[in-house]
Amino acid sequence: MVYLVDDESVVRSALAWLLRSRRLLSQAFDSAESFEAALDAPAPATPDLWPVGPSCMLLDLRMGGMSGLSLFDKLCQRGLTEGMPVIFLTGHGDVATAVAAIKRGAFDFVEKPFSDNALVDRVESALAASRTHLESRAERARHSRILQQLSERELDVMELISRGLPNKIIAERMFLSIRTVEIHRANVFEKLGVNSAVELVNAMHKLRPPHRQGH
Amino acid sequence: MKAAPSSDSGFVGAPGIDGLASASRPRLGLWVLLVVLVLVAEGVLLVMTVQYRSTRTQARLDLATAAANTELRQILGRDLELVLDLPAPAAQAPSWEAKVARVLGAHPEMLRIEQRDPAFELRAAVDSRLYTPTFSYVARSQMHVDTDIACASSRRRSGPAYSDAYFVPLGDGAASEVMDLCIVEREGETVAGYLVVSYSLPALLDQVGNSGAAEGNDLILLGSDGTRAAHGSLRAGAGVYRANRMVDLPGTALQLQLESPSLRPRLVPDAMGVFVVSLSLALIGVVAALMMDMRRRAGVESALADALSFRKAMEDSLVTGLRARDLQGRITYANPAFCAMVGFRADELIGSATPPYWPPEQRLAYQERRASRLASKGRDTFETVFMRKDGERFPSMVFEAPLIGVAGQHTGWVSAIVDLSAQRQVEEIARQQQERLQGTARLATAGEMASLLSHELTQPLSAIAAYATGTLNMLADDGDGPAWDAQLPRLIKEGLVQIADQAHRAGRTIKSVHNFVRRREGSRERTAVAEMMDAILPLIRLQARKNQAGIEIEIDDGTPHVLCDRAMVEQVLLNLARNGLQAMQSTATDVAPTLTLHVRAETHAWIRIGVRDRGSGIDDRTAAQLFKPFFTTRADGMGLGLSVCRTIVEQHGGTLAFANLRDPEGRICGAEFSFTLPAAHSSTPDDTDRYVQGETQGGTHDIASTRSLASDLELQRSTLHPDGLPRG
Repeated sequence: MVYLVDDESVVRSALAWLLRSRRLLSQAFDSAESFEAALDAPAPATPDLWPVGPSCMLLDLRMGGMSGLSLFDKLCQRGLTEGMPVIFLTGHGDVATAVAAIKRGAFDFVEKPFSDNALVDRVESALAASRTHLESRAERARHSRILQQLSERELDVMELISRGLPNKIIAERMFLSIRTVEIHRANVFEKLGVNSAVELVNAMHKLRPPHRQGH
Repeated sequence: MKAAPSSDSGFVGAPGIDGLASASRPRLGLWVLLVVLVLVAEGVLLVMTVQYRSTRTQARLDLATAAANTELRQILGRDLELVLDLPAPAAQAPSWEAKVARVLGAHPEMLRIEQRDPAFELRAAVDSRLYTPTFSYVARSQMHVDTDIACASSRRRSGPAYSDAYFVPLGDGAASEVMDLCIVEREGETVAGYLVVSYSLPALLDQVGNSGAAEGNDLILLGSDGTRAAHGSLRAGAGVYRANRMVDLPGTALQLQLESPSLRPRLVPDAMGVFVVSLSLALIGVVAALMMDMRRRAGVESALADALSFRKAMEDSLVTGLRARDLQGRITYANPAFCAMVGFRADELIGSATPPYWPPEQRLAYQERRASRLASKGRDTFETVFMRKDGERFPSMVFEAPLIGVAGQHTGWVSAIVDLSAQRQVEEIARQQQERLQGTARLATAGEMASLLSHELTQPLSAIAAYATGTLNMLADDGDGPAWDAQLPRLIKEGLVQIADQAHRAGRTIKSVHNFVRRREGSRERTAVAEMMDAILPLIRLQARKNQAGIEIEIDDGTPHVLCDRAMVEQVLLNLARNGLQAMQSTATDVAPTLTLHVRAETHAWIRIGVRDRGSGIDDRTAAQLFKPFFTTRADGMGLGLSVCRTIVEQHGGTLAFANLRDPEGRICGAEFSFTLPAAHSSTPDDTDRYVQGETQGGTHDIASTRSLASDLELQRSTLHPDGLPRG
């Protein structure tokens, strides 16, 4: 879904026409405020749940009422810009503002009058970025669900296995019998859907939330 | 730096030098008084010295007289004792005579001793053998009167008595003063006889003199009658100093007189001494005076040195340049500030008849000016342009005053020079700021309009592009997804309708802008060209002063008014003048840079206004792009000046043209931009219809579509017309 936010109806309909000619669905808003209202219409949008599908935004920098930049700042604060990359539409003389916006995380900017298919290309790559983000979001959700299935003991065993220790040593460390360790090991392998210690280590890298990996 | 010649530095007063001359007159009086006082003192001293000496001589003489008196009395007393010791005359005979003879021999003052009986008859007599017997020439009997008186006196008082001195001739012209002593001898109450002793007074005086009591003075005995009785054998007195003393003897009185051989003290030796003393005093006085003079001179000199160093410090600390010229115009002095200002050393400047700081192109003019300056006598203030050593010209203000020498004659000129370049810079900056401010305001308006226009045009153009691209996308679509086939004609039609709509919208926008521009054309007024010139001249002058350029204005008499939008045309004039000045600034020429603004009526209906500079002209390549918007030869230029000028002129129906100027040898020596404006006559003649048409009917002309006139410009002269067609 491509969200068009521009106060010029001519531009909105022309862009919608253009996107449609490239088989891209779009939804137009005539102001930043109307977009914001639509965003929270059923329930407040959060980065975990919104957007539902790959999407991006074409945002006019200069508008009556709330400016494009303010809307962008609000989206940034709510962490929505990763799932929905923002491409700014700028008029003549706003390039400096647009560059500043890029530094703050905007996906790109396109100067009006734009080269039309190039704009659509940028929209498509933005959608691709959005798709990648949504997929990794789904992956993370799945992994965290798996980790929640493991018991405390199983997590400890998994940790030691990932360091390459044999069952016997693990048993000594944890004051367990080798037999018990083997059962835990089998459970871990089963729950994570892996068949060897090597696969386990690979899986763990994916499972670990990014902020813990550095430590 | 080089020290100033003293003749040039007379304007600094040296305190103390004038005082020296005026103080000498009362000082002379003091000197005379001093000499007179010294002379008086010397005279008094001289008199007192002489008086003292004579007083002292007299006192010594008095003392000696007293001593001699005493001595005389002692001798007489001793002799009296001796005579009384003699045996009585009764026991006479040889023993008495022998005794008497012995006494006489021992005492040369006594001449003779004789015994007389009571009747004064001579009983016995003994003469001193040292002398000729006293009475050998004159008998004793004839010379006894005084003796008798003495004896009578002796008998009466029963003691020895002396007779008066009397004169005894000795024959052969010799004589002796003699005084007798008579002693009465008594036997009971009766007189037994008399003893008479004759004294030689000269011998007596000799005795006194020999004793040393007279101290070398002349001894004189005077008788009781005051006549001279005897004279000592010592040296004769000078008769100046004299002392008397009475020698009171029984029976008679003698007067002892001493005469000093000293003469009256003479003035000359004392005067010599006094003279020497005076000379010494005078010498000391002169030396003292010299020393005082030296000290005062040293004081004056140090004060002078102080004043000089003060003056030098003052000159060195001045930021104002100082220059002195002699009557021939040669520089005789330049202070450090002036040297720093022009960049030449003082020794490079001094003595030069043509100062190196005169810009070469102005040399002749400056020489004339100097000649007229030197001919006048008063002070003067003028503004001029000097050149630094590196060739930079700078404006300066010169305050010049005549230099009057000590004797009151005119010896040259002293000038104070102030560098005005900093001030000019400030003025220039102020001017530029003001200009920039105006420009900014104008640009802001223009920018606002441009922004609005671009926004208004961008929207429909973007939309057109989007619809066109979208339509093409649909036509070329071969991707996945459902085919467009069924809807395609409808969709394409929809896109084309949108494109047409948006194109109309853009057209409307442009039309409205054009209407806005046209509105300004209504504000035409009848204006005198001279008035417009007056309005812009202050601004041009400021810039011209910065470039040291002159401005000439030539307006033909009787030039009619023009019909124009005054503010716009002033802007055109200002732009052209500024371009001309800048063209002359960037090129160094030998001729003085001058900008000429000239106005003349070209035809009955058209006034031509021209701006002529003496720069390096415009080359062909520049000329080809001259009127293109955003073309500029300056780093800070916008490239809009000439383009806007042309637009304005064309809006008035006129033309803007340019031509390079050539000197007689065919070299380019400047450029002239000129434009025409309609004359404001009461009625418009027919021959101007074409231009009027160009203005009124060509109202829809588009600024951006003016075609390039490179081919015309190559001819070094071009005329431009609103329609972009060459005129004529």
